[in-house]
Amino acid sequence: MKYMLLIYSPENAWIPEEWKQCVETSMQICEEMAAKNQLISAAPLHPVATASTVRVRDGKPFITAGPFAETTEQLGGYYLIDVENLDEAIAISSRLPPAQKGTVEIRPLFKLDGLPAEKHAIESSNSETSLKKFMFLCYDDEEAWRNAGTQAHHAAMQEAVALTKRLDAVNQYVSASPLHPVATATSIRVRNGQRIVTDGPFAETSEVMGGYYLILARDQKEAVEIASEHSGARVGAVEVREVFDLTSPVMRGSPLIL
Amino acid sequence: MSPGQRPMPVPADQMTRQIVDEIYRRESRRVFATLVRLLRDFDLAEEAMHEAFALAVTQWSESGVPENPWAWLISTGRFKAIDALRRRGRLDGLAAEIVRRIEDVASSNAERASHEIEDDQLRLIFTCCHPAIDPMVQVPLTLREVCGLSTDEVASAFLTAPATMAQRIVRGKAKIRDAGIPFVIPSVVDFQQRLESVLAVIYLVFNEGYSASSGEVVTRADLSGEAIRLGRLLLELLDNPEAMGLLGLMLLQESRRHARVTVDGDIILLEDQDRSLWNKSLIKEGLLLVERSLSTPRFGAYSVQAAIAAVHATAQSAEQTDWPQIVALYDALLSINPSPIVELNRAVAVAMRDGPEAGLLLIDSILRRGDLVDFHLTHAARGELCRRAGRVAEARAALTQAISLARQEPERRFLSRRLSEL
Repeated sequence: MKYMLLIYSPENAWIPEEWKQCVETSMQICEEMAAKNQLISAAPLHPVATASTVRVRDGKPFITAGPFAETTEQLGGYYLIDVENLDEAIAISSRLPPAQKGTVEIRPLFKLDGLPAEKHAIESSNSETSLKKFMFLCYDDEEAWRNAGTQAHHAAMQEAVALTKRLDAVNQYVSASPLHPVATATSIRVRNGQRIVTDGPFAETSEVMGGYYLILARDQKEAVEIASEHSGARVGAVEVREVFDLTSPVMRGSPLIL
Repeated sequence: MSPGQRPMPVPADQMTRQIVDEIYRRESRRVFATLVRLLRDFDLAEEAMHEAFALAVTQWSESGVPENPWAWLISTGRFKAIDALRRRGRLDGLAAEIVRRIEDVASSNAERASHEIEDDQLRLIFTCCHPAIDPMVQVPLTLREVCGLSTDEVASAFLTAPATMAQRIVRGKAKIRDAGIPFVIPSVVDFQQRLESVLAVIYLVFNEGYSASSGEVVTRADLSGEAIRLGRLLLELLDNPEAMGLLGLMLLQESRRHARVTVDGDIILLEDQDRSLWNKSLIKEGLLLVERSLSTPRFGAYSVQAAIAAVHATAQSAEQTDWPQIVALYDALLSINPSPIVELNRAVAVAMRDGPEAGLLLIDSILRRGDLVDFHLTHAARGELCRRAGRVAEARAALTQAISLARQEPERRFLSRRLSEL
């Protein structure tokens, strides 16, 4: 089964030494998972201060600076993994250093047919094309979609598939997937060496993370333009975050954020 | 020959029905657990199990009861499941995978040792009590899927509308399916923590039955009975000291059921109970479990609580209770599981050992810390100890506060009576 691990922690909670340790441990876990074919992709995101949030209402895009929601813990990174079951996902999540300071939210991916094949390998070659990698965090009002009916929901999904195909045709697509409803979320925290597993997402909000895209774009502006084409932006919101390139040296040395 | 000359023979199909009914009572939850492991789908497993039992009635009356009814039911159930998937036209990727798995496992199934079969029930318990499932859902899901209670029965036991309960159970099943909660006995690394959630669910069911959290009735025997049944099943499946401790604790508490309320449903305190009403055979079984558990090096909080219940169970009267021993056991419990509730219980035991003033000092220090301030029993205990210490005005104030915080009608009645006697 495929899962997305969403890494939430307070951005200011890391001193440089801890950050270095965190990166090293995370890299090591990634290597272990890669050796077992469990790792699809993982990366930290640029700080929330660099985020843009897109909503489309009456055909017009509304862009705000900053994240979709102000929270004390911020989404600082993600892992996409392919493991046997939730217990394996929990075991991996509880080893991730941010679980000790924040929360790891585990979300099963919803299998959507028609999406182009994932192009995660592109991240090692994108330096030549001068494209940057961005993640779209798609926030949906699940209740509104339920009320809209399965047909409307299906049509929106198909529209999203069409967007991924358009991006794929111009080599700007990396990966995308809807997530199962937030009721399937599980949150992991580690405190005083004790693992705490709870049902539900990291934070209760009316609009919840319902899917993601990983795309390539020249800059934030282009990424935001692409995000406004996502069907869900008309009902919910899309937060656009630049993704750290794992191959770049800034990742290893930086006292930035995970 | 007239019908009166010899007893009417029981028709074959009626006899088969009786046999099938008996097997259903004894085996259906085990059959269900195995089908859940094979199908990884609660609804499909439930449906397949019912169809298998229905077919057993007709088929066994023609060809006789098979040598291994359990294996027959599993094998029939899996074919019924494949039929159902075909009917739904859902023989897509996932269903094909299920069919493949069913066929792989089916052949080896018939020869499986019975303890492995029981492992399926253990898997199911661990799955329903998985910490990734909302605790509000774990309890009804366990009662529904492991114990086989109907949704209506679970709803009425928890004084909840059936629709609400049905929704919780559906939510739990969806979480298991979509989040990929596995049907496995947890690995050694996770075992202790996962076992704790299972024990917590069982004890929650027991307590819900033993002391209903709100409403008119003090005890709901059927839920306690289910919890004890679950506790016995768990111990059968798993030779673990805390599983022993929990079962011992439940049996010892259960032994006092008929002595703890009057016919009118009024509460009788432990010290005022007619100890001849205590169920001796439950006490005997409980004591044995406590002894066995405490003789292992790995006993925990449930075993210590059971040991406390055991000291009460073996005392001739409240005065002759070994209070120093009870205080010592509460000290042990506090070191395993520090909590204000345990401290409150210890304070009462200290009062019994050293007099009411000693207990009051401890309760006041809990309250000063801001703990258990809104818990009616803190004030009830304080009121009682003030009364014994002759501090009548304080006793009155504490009992009044306890009454305003109590949620159960019989508790309010009891406290009001205590207050009026001051």
